[in-house]
Amino acid sequence: MGADEVGGQPPQQHTIARRTVLRGLGAGALATGMGGILAACGSSLKGSGGSSSSGTINIGFVTPLTGPLAGFASGDQFVLSQIRATSAYKNGFKVGGKTYKVNIIVKDSQSSPNTAAQVAGQLILNNHVDMVLTTSTPETTNPVAAECEKQGTPCVSTVVPWESWYAGLGGNPVKPTTTFEYCTTFFFGLKEFQECFVPMWNRVPNNHEVACMYPNDADGNAFRFGFEPLIKASGYKVVDGGAYPDGQTDYSTMISLFKSKQCEVYSNCPLPPDFITFWRQASQQGFKPKIATVAKVLLFPADTVALGALVNNIATDSWWGPYMPYSSSLDGVTAKALADAYQAKTGNQWVQSIGSSYALFEVAKEAFGAVSDPHDKKEVAGALHHVNYSGMNGPINFAAGPAPGVGIVKPVGVQWKRSTGKYPFEMVVVDNSLNPGVPLGGKLEPTNA
Amino acid sequence: MIWVNDIIQGILLGGLYALFACGLSLMFGVMKVINLAHGDLAVVAAYVALGVIALTHIPGVWSFVLVVPIMAVGGYFLQRTLIQASLERGTITTLLVTFGLSIVIETVLLQFLSANSHGIPDGSFGTASFSIGSQISIGWLDLIILVVAVTVLLVLQFYLSRSRNGRLIRAVADDREAAQLAGADYRHIFGIAAAIALGTVALAGVAYFGMYSQFDPTIGTGQLLLYAFEVVVIGGLGSLWGTLAGGIVLGVVQQIGAQIGGAAHPDYQFLAGQLVFLAVLVVLPQGLTGIRRTA
Repeated sequence: MGADEVGGQPPQQHTIARRTVLRGLGAGALATGMGGILAACGSSLKGSGGSSSSGTINIGFVTPLTGPLAGFASGDQFVLSQIRATSAYKNGFKVGGKTYKVNIIVKDSQSSPNTAAQVAGQLILNNHVDMVLTTSTPETTNPVAAECEKQGTPCVSTVVPWESWYAGLGGNPVKPTTTFEYCTTFFFGLKEFQECFVPMWNRVPNNHEVACMYPNDADGNAFRFGFEPLIKASGYKVVDGGAYPDGQTDYSTMISLFKSKQCEVYSNCPLPPDFITFWRQASQQGFKPKIATVAKVLLFPADTVALGALVNNIATDSWWGPYMPYSSSLDGVTAKALADAYQAKTGNQWVQSIGSSYALFEVAKEAFGAVSDPHDKKEVAGALHHVNYSGMNGPINFAAGPAPGVGIVKPVGVQWKRSTGKYPFEMVVVDNSLNPGVPLGGKLEPTNA
Repeated sequence: MIWVNDIIQGILLGGLYALFACGLSLMFGVMKVINLAHGDLAVVAAYVALGVIALTHIPGVWSFVLVVPIMAVGGYFLQRTLIQASLERGTITTLLVTFGLSIVIETVLLQFLSANSHGIPDGSFGTASFSIGSQISIGWLDLIILVVAVTVLLVLQFYLSRSRNGRLIRAVADDREAAQLAGADYRHIFGIAAAIALGTVALAGVAYFGMYSQFDPTIGTGQLLLYAFEVVVIGGLGSLWGTLAGGIVLGVVQQIGAQIGGAAHPDYQFLAGQLVFLAVLVVLPQGLTGIRRTA
């Protein structure tokens, strides 16, 4: 059916139409796909450099509102309502002596890299946005950033390890000399994981054998080749469980290996369903590490539900929380007040991605505030690379990171602990070695005593 | 001792595979329908379980008591309408129709229930286990899945070989025209077989997607569906005993592959299963149970 339709079309449209049909098969998104074709036609007529000369600044926001990574975005609708209520976003930005209205256009990446690239293209070509903000894992941020770099639109990413973001754009994180003109990111990387996790390992007496569960995917291999050397450099031995394929149904062999090496420290970066399967089997088969520091999973309260009591005292990283001594650069509201407002408004427990999503909009305002024409994408991109401010996610300096356009935020070590309050488990700061300004909330305890 | 543990875990895993493949095997054995929507129907069952739990507040572990009959009734109607209509148009049509059904189910679930993942709350049941010696520990959930798989296959085998309806099902499966001449209403018989198949699919969906792991609308077409097809082929198309044997063979072989591969080659787990599948196709194209059909 599809082949007949596209049979007579010129070659460059052929690929788009084929992709459209495939996507239509997969998700019934034929209509959106057709928009893609129109957008592609439009771009060839107008050219991507054509900026809207209106008195409105359009900001695109791409986030995984649905899909397996939707947990990351669960606070984003709330953040948007808070941002839109601030005077800067309500009354407009003053740029070069003129006040511009600000319009935020939200797009759902559906946790899919294909959709993320597609909606980023729509934002740039159909909505003529002046900047794209994107958050929550490489699956969303990397295709969006790549699209922005290609189409020459300023882009800020967050909640993606900077190495992954940098490599996704074609850079080499080991020798980060390339500057990407339009793209910036703020988050942390493997070195911060080391500086966050190792102090916790050091404080729980153990035999320095680290069980590493890193899958055979982008994040897993980044940990295997980037994080394992850092583990060794910290004086620990690595027991690599092997580059298993995502979606494996049984982990008995890996668990036996960890047990036979008597690993007392556990590190991972799996897909969430795989972690559930692994941790359940590990518990059944008696692999009980003294300290477990997980990455990529258990970042949010919703993730803890499936594991129940097994989640107690599992440690992870936290880049934001009500305990952070930060406040908004837009209206001065504190991290604590923001988290409380979220809980009051939604009835749900706070999630740490609220802080990073909030900071995206602060960064956007900082950049637009430093230019003379908000529709001049080159000028805005240049300003982005020089943003240096302190706001909801703490101090961020894009000019002083480990790579051009990378701002580093400092996470703290947290453990999930039983709560006496409304929610069964809560994140408690147990190690602030990397970010001493954050007050401790509790004692670091072994994951399994 | 490590090998003993591997084989035990492999058998437990095999129980899961067999339970998952049971419905597929039955649909093929009786109706010659290769149901490509099998995995998606299991996901539907898991969503039905969530709904049932929300409405009735029964404990997650017991949700199957309601989900199985619901899915069985659904299976009967599915067979009498969509699948029957496609059967009358030839084998290829049923393949296409079930493939289409698979896409429709995924899309509808995505549209109305979002792509978020869910689990069925099972208390601490999913992680409880008991140990034999220091090396071997057996999860209660895994063990119960195995027991359920064996029981379901036993009961089905008994039903097919001893009960009146079972004899009719076998008669229709063996020679539809002759059975019709003898007065059997084969459409109704097919409906019953589909109802049973979907009942087992419901068990598998609740047990695996609900409690063993997590589920979202698109997970039904993942690796487990591939394993289920392999189990049916290894065991012998359409044979229930074969399905149990095939499941256990695949589970054990995967564990052995994983042990040989170790940390250096974890993909041997996957590879070993595929190799056995290929070997069976080449050496024993009829599967482990030979040419014998159900019974």
